[in-house]
Amino acid sequence: MTDLDPVIHAQARLRIMAALSGLADGDRMTFPRLQQILDMTAGNLSVHLTKLEQAGYVEVAKSFRGRTPTTSAGLTRRGRVAFEDYTAALRALLEPPKHHPEEG
Amino acid sequence: MNDDDDVPLESPAESLALISRERDAVSRSVQFNPLAYYLPWGFAWLIGFGLLFLRYGPDGRVFVPMPDWLPLVALFSLLAAAAIGTVAMSTAKGRHVHGRSAWQGAVYGWTWFLAFAGVGSTLGRFTKYLPDDEAGLLWGSASVGVTAVMYLAGSAIWLSREMFVLGAWVTVVNIAGVIAGPGWHSLLIAVGGGGGLILFGVALWVRGRPR
Repeated sequence: MTDLDPVIHAQARLRIMAALSGLADGDRMTFPRLQQILDMTAGNLSVHLTKLEQAGYVEVAKSFRGRTPTTSAGLTRRGRVAFEDYTAALRALLEPPKHHPEEG
Repeated sequence: MNDDDDVPLESPAESLALISRERDAVSRSVQFNPLAYYLPWGFAWLIGFGLLFLRYGPDGRVFVPMPDWLPLVALFSLLAAAAIGTVAMSTAKGRHVHGRSAWQGAVYGWTWFLAFAGVGSTLGRFTKYLPDDEAGLLWGSASVGVTAVMYLAGSAIWLSREMFVLGAWVTVVNIAGVIAGPGWHSLLIAVGGGGGLILFGVALWVRGRPR
């Protein structure tokens, strides 16, 4: 393993982070919509969102529209920075010839 | 159920491809189609002010005979349709996104309404003292001016250079129309304003198309 952030370095969480990074700063996407875009089960998405939330990378908010509760998730400032660092580290891995691609 | 965790991330190149795929999927889902937003307004101005010019031309000329009420009814119906479409699209998009941009969009929408309510009530008080053609110019130029200011404010909210250009352009056309006088103002707004909005929407669409 390299020193890639282990919180993000799992396919499901990387996909969630990448998807949320497509939103504008300060925005959150509703849970059902995120689930639909990522094509993940509610349970799976929820488990990984919790892990990301515990790491301080994702903010999960509950709000009410009428009587229906809506959950939405977005990147925190810290999460955005961590994600940018992660992608920068990936790019760095591609560049120097001395590194061989890791096998996972 | 939870086996996604164990799916190994293949190579950095594949991870990067995965990142841009998911990122683009979300960006696309929240982006609006500029054609759907700007064309209805552009055509409303082009047709509505175009009819006003043809029926109420400079110095009272009538270029195309038609009922007195037709140009204004056409203009207001087209503007109402554009407004309903814009609100419906924004609401549909905003349903899935909460947070900062939801607030910006909602306040921006209400600001349009409040701006026209404020300016409209003032104009309504004073139009009775004006001859018909000057009253028409007052309403037309104040409404177009407010619209231009809203685009300029939008450029500050969304950090959009394009919206600033649009707002500045509509302001210039509006001032030119006021100087030229009743009748000419309608023509300038139809062609410069309506045409400008249509070109603007098409230009944004061409630039934003998936490559």
